[in-house]
Amino acid sequence: MAGAVTVRTVPRRSVLVIGSGPIVIGQAAEFDYAGVQACRALREEGQRVILVNSNPATIMTDPEIADVVYLEPLTAASLDAIIARERPDALLPTLGGQTGLNLAVELHEAGTLERYGLELLGTPIETIKLAEDRAQFKEAMLRIGEPVPASAVVNDVESGVRFANELGYPLVVRPAYTLGGTGGGVVRSENELRHILAAGLGASLINQALVETSLLGWKEIEYEILRDRADNCIIVCNMENIDPVGVHTGDSIVVAPSQTLSDQEYQLLRSASLNVIRALNVQGGCNIQFALHPERTEYNIIEVNPRVSRSSALASKATGYPIAKISTKIALGKTLDEIENPVTGVTKAAYEPTLDYVVVKIPRWPFDKFPRADTRLGTQMKSTGEAMGIGRTFGAALVKAVRGLDLGRETLTGTSVALWNEDQLDDAITAPTHERLFALAESLRRGVPVAALAKASAIDPFWLNELGELVELEERLRAQPAGHDLRVAAELGYSQASIARLTDTNRNVSLWNQASHAEGEGQGAGRNAFRMVDTAAAEFPARSPYYYLSRYEQDEMRRPAREAIVVVGSGPIRIGQGIEFDYSCVRAAWALREAGRAAVVVNNNPETVSTDFDVSDVLVFEPPGPDEVQAAYDATGASGVLLAFGGQTAINLAAELTKRGVRIIGSDRKSVDMAEDRRKFDAALARLGVARPEGRAASSFRQARAIARELGFPVLVRPSYVLGGRGMEIVYNEGQLASYVETAPPITPGAPLLVDKYLRGLELEVDAVYDGQDVLVPGIFEHVERAGIHSGDSISVYPPQIIDALMQARIVEITRSIAHELQTRGSINIQFVLHEGELYIIEANPRASRTVPIISKVTGVNLVAAATRVALGEKLRDMPYGTGLTPATPFVVVKIPVFSFAKMHGVETILGPEMKSTGEVLGVDQTFAGALRKGFIAAGVRVPDTSVPGKRGRILVSISDQEKADAIAVLRRYAACGFALVATDGTHELLVENGIDSERINKISDGSPHVLDAIASRSVDLVINDAVGPRQLSDGYRIRRAAVEASVACLTSLDTAGALVEALESSAGPPRSLQEYRAAAQASQYYGVAR
Amino acid sequence: MRKPAALLLADGTRFDGEGIGYDALALGEAVFYTGMTGYEEALTDPSYAGQILTFTYPLVGNYGISGAASQHERACVAGAVMKRIAPHPSHHAMKIDLSSWLAEQRVPTLVGIDTRALVTVLREHGTIRAALAVGESALARIESALVPYARQTTTVGLVADVATRHVRNVAAGNGGPHVVVIDCGVKRAIVRDLSALGARLSVMPYAATREEILAREPDAIVISPGPGDPTDLPETIETLKGLLGDFPMFGVCLGHQLLALACGATTFKLPYGHRGGNQPVKDLQRGAVLVTAHNHGYAVDGATLPSELEATMVNLNDGTNEGFRHRSLPISAVQFHPEASPGPFDARYLFAEWLATLS
Repeated sequence: MAGAVTVRTVPRRSVLVIGSGPIVIGQAAEFDYAGVQACRALREEGQRVILVNSNPATIMTDPEIADVVYLEPLTAASLDAIIARERPDALLPTLGGQTGLNLAVELHEAGTLERYGLELLGTPIETIKLAEDRAQFKEAMLRIGEPVPASAVVNDVESGVRFANELGYPLVVRPAYTLGGTGGGVVRSENELRHILAAGLGASLINQALVETSLLGWKEIEYEILRDRADNCIIVCNMENIDPVGVHTGDSIVVAPSQTLSDQEYQLLRSASLNVIRALNVQGGCNIQFALHPERTEYNIIEVNPRVSRSSALASKATGYPIAKISTKIALGKTLDEIENPVTGVTKAAYEPTLDYVVVKIPRWPFDKFPRADTRLGTQMKSTGEAMGIGRTFGAALVKAVRGLDLGRETLTGTSVALWNEDQLDDAITAPTHERLFALAESLRRGVPVAALAKASAIDPFWLNELGELVELEERLRAQPAGHDLRVAAELGYSQASIARLTDTNRNVSLWNQASHAEGEGQGAGRNAFRMVDTAAAEFPARSPYYYLSRYEQDEMRRPAREAIVVVGSGPIRIGQGIEFDYSCVRAAWALREAGRAAVVVNNNPETVSTDFDVSDVLVFEPPGPDEVQAAYDATGASGVLLAFGGQTAINLAAELTKRGVRIIGSDRKSVDMAEDRRKFDAALARLGVARPEGRAASSFRQARAIARELGFPVLVRPSYVLGGRGMEIVYNEGQLASYVETAPPITPGAPLLVDKYLRGLELEVDAVYDGQDVLVPGIFEHVERAGIHSGDSISVYPPQIIDALMQARIVEITRSIAHELQTRGSINIQFVLHEGELYIIEANPRASRTVPIISKVTGVNLVAAATRVALGEKLRDMPYGTGLTPATPFVVVKIPVFSFAKMHGVETILGPEMKSTGEVLGVDQTFAGALRKGFIAAGVRVPDTSVPGKRGRILVSISDQEKADAIAVLRRYAACGFALVATDGTHELLVENGIDSERINKISDGSPHVLDAIASRSVDLVINDAVGPRQLSDGYRIRRAAVEASVACLTSLDTAGALVEALESSAGPPRSLQEYRAAAQASQYYGVAR
Repeated sequence: MRKPAALLLADGTRFDGEGIGYDALALGEAVFYTGMTGYEEALTDPSYAGQILTFTYPLVGNYGISGAASQHERACVAGAVMKRIAPHPSHHAMKIDLSSWLAEQRVPTLVGIDTRALVTVLREHGTIRAALAVGESALARIESALVPYARQTTTVGLVADVATRHVRNVAAGNGGPHVVVIDCGVKRAIVRDLSALGARLSVMPYAATREEILAREPDAIVISPGPGDPTDLPETIETLKGLLGDFPMFGVCLGHQLLALACGATTFKLPYGHRGGNQPVKDLQRGAVLVTAHNHGYAVDGATLPSELEATMVNLNDGTNEGFRHRSLPISAVQFHPEASPGPFDARYLFAEWLATLS
């Protein structure tokens, strides 16, 4: 009501926004989503936005999102320098995850905020500190009468043990100031306590941890709350974890809204949430986690996060309520009753969404790539991403979330878990692993009573019974399905393919049609009805809703007035297919809208920008499967589907969609097939006279061995299906080949093993756009590590530092001819290796790649827009991006991968052809060495200031025989920089022989004190453990893991070590914004300045 | 056991689904409730008398029926419509599952329909009269029964059906104020909240006369919520007129509308009512936003408030009046439910504040 509310305008200021940096487990794409909303909201309110984030794969670091974008390291020093240059008026720290909060606290403590008169927007610093400081938090809660578990705040292991002796086990260890529960865990014995508490204290910024009584088995409930400066509070959403307390919420299956809480319980926790958020004086978004006793009305507060989070991203996508956007406006001083609800357009932000559907989120874990990882779930998060399903029933939402994981599992039963014995099932149920859901389903299928499973898992029988209904349906479909069962399966979100598999029939389509005819499918209630997510359960008409499928209900899809094009998303974030594909999907949607088309996005990842309600014209929140893409295509009357931006997930749909008569625009099925079918690809290269490493497909071990002997070791082996280099390895001898074959998927003529000659040369990568006539290559990346390390895990540099203009021209020419031969229309990514002067092709993919966001930002060439417009039929010549190779920039960027090994217990950290990194940072500087230096700093490597004389620290070195010659040169440079080298016998002697000072240290077998002790006590600052050669499961592996546990950087490639020392020897320039770099690049091109 | 069932709206729209429990034909106004929890409270809320209640949240019955959450001694709705009833509810406080309870309470219930489609019709058409039939014989009569019902006034008599017929005394502790509750269909939560705050209550029938009320010698009067159109209760309005100025008075929901009418304002029928626990209301005096529980199909026309009444609360969604106070007399009222049940407790403090003014 106009009379009730006076809307105030916010004065124009410049606001510094801190991003969350590289994607790591526990801090992922959700902060790009939140950051983008925040930046857009700030600009909507007339603010000048200065953004700092080292993650180049994000939408938020595109120069369109903020007025000034700094791709600089997220450290207090770097931020201090940026603040000194930009003199912002205010700082908004609550949108960059734990990284943003920690930096805000650091800047505050260092006096930077005060020195430059920066106002902290939103939640005050005292609150941030209070919520993080376990002792203060506990005290504050008790003061306002809110229950918290009995606990002790400890700064050393012995105090923890003393407390444990009083309270008994199990206990939970929670380190202060870490993200994703790093270093925490449930402990059941003194031994475990000592181990985990030591690690937790080490991971904590303030060397503090909470040891608390365990609420294992209580229901875990979360509330997402907003509060404004006028003390108005609303609950956006509550969520219930199916996994009770004991499993990190990021690793839990989460349902929104809660299902097993009565209204009294719901309101009890709601009132408690308000009590807490008021007492903490939060201004903006806040997440509160509760434990609720399953047998009585009693709760405890587990944790409070006074910022946007993964949970708030999930709550936003689950309800349609844009928490980050509203939080930002609150931070600017607006109140909830002044801000409109952008989804309805008629209600206010002072509104609690109500749902008329159920949302289920299932985490996506990286264990498929890391068979040796510890898969048990606990208080430390291990998943890399998540898939969300929306349905009118819990069953439908669950099935969609399972399918959306993109694990090749379309059903709850009949998975690999069906082969497990009872003990294996019991283990996964009582000590939860990523397979618990499937183990429960399989146990139900085998007739284990719900009561027994509820007792073993502490999961509420409600969920198990619901799961049981799905299991029973799947069993009926396997046995004698009635027409009604087929309809129910369709309503529950099962795919056509999975129904066909369950009913074991090739007549899938006809059965499917029969089912719908039998049930009298009408025009109004279609098989593919789209329903709205509108925040209001249809109480108010919606202005910008999004959609989910609910079969056999009323269709609410508003067909766009303009020609629609479907963009297929990439699903949950996983290693090998990360946020960069979301970046491309978003840019494609925007390019479509700029080209006058309506963008229809199909994706199911709640963390990302692509599933934000206003990125596309029509958002279909469904797994990007063939049924859903086809349904979206039909319902919007689309004229084409773009697959090139959704990674391998989208590309894999090409054949099926073509079969269904869906028109793929851009590179089509033929082009995908030619790139992926090895014989066709080889033939294409042969026609072009382009070389590739010699290799052949083997359909047995014998054959593989024969091929390897013929090519000569080392060889690169991999299964014929590859995503992110999955299962790919370099083997150096027959023994290794044999052990590879033992652990790899079985070799069959249908699924052969590919054996290639391994060429250890300079790896190069291009992203290009081809329109059938011209090619556009915005840049060529050189990899720092020689071929053999997955491109996602290698450091890469633009513009090239090694190859000359002639070679660059040759690469552009080959790119053009391959793109032409593959009939590419749009994006293509090609990887080359330069070996002894000869250029070889490693692979070509007719799609956008990991490097697309980087090259686009750096060169200013909107590669995704160019590819999208080519797919729409435009020519590069008619676009403003140019053709051929874009002139190189006068500055250098270095992409450095970031790993989450600390979260993945047991995982081997050696880099190889199988991708292991979860994220990346970009170093940008005038020089290569400077960019490297910034990149390493941004990646979290502690880089000492070498301009100050003195001792730099100690490096533990162990070098394999193959690399000794190369190693000496690199290590000599470290020594010259002032580092002390520490080595075990072999390497120690090598160093001494070559006149390099070295300190000898015991091997593990020599007895304590040995290398592991040195690492654990952090008496070394860096480990160089070069791993080329046989797989080392013994000492090398233990050394590398010890380094991870102790947070000591560990380099496993001499090439990386060489790059680091180059960075150490040099200094980097001052921070500069992307806009400044771009302006300089344009000026140099204009004046024709040579690099 | 499940059987054929249908909901027929007066505009001819029909939803076919499955019936639960009790074979019957129910006639009533089709309305919807947007809360995601609180079905036990809603089904027993006297204000839903004469209404066929649709739950917008698709899963109902997950935690069964506890009895403790009930707002009346029996179910008050005329019929209920749901997308799905949980077949295996689970809760430590559960006494009986929802399906069995609905059968026991003789509430004709339709499940398995597209409730969102129904809500969209109700939003666009407005509250509409409807018939809900469960079982073959009721289905056969559904049209012939709806036609005459749709023509007549439907709200008269609803209050009489749910309100107390005799005075009930609710004792409280140590000599707190004595409050007469004029029961037009009071919820247990109101009685619970007031007595928990120390008030001694006399719950009196809505038709109690001024003399009967005076005879009780109360310190103050609360006019309760209840079903239907406030103008159906002219005698109660007259009684209230006679009491204005004699006692502090506080009206809730229907009580708010009755007090407004007694003071000279008018009421009107909302297009499709407010029923749920997420209605944002601005407290004009404090400037604060309260998230409140609502259950009403009629509203006070804020433009007709006489000069001695001052609007204190306004709905942020549609701007309707949510509360007023008398400028000179100790009279105030709110349209929403401070007692919640179901719904949020943001406004619970109003009872305490009001009681505090009595001493």
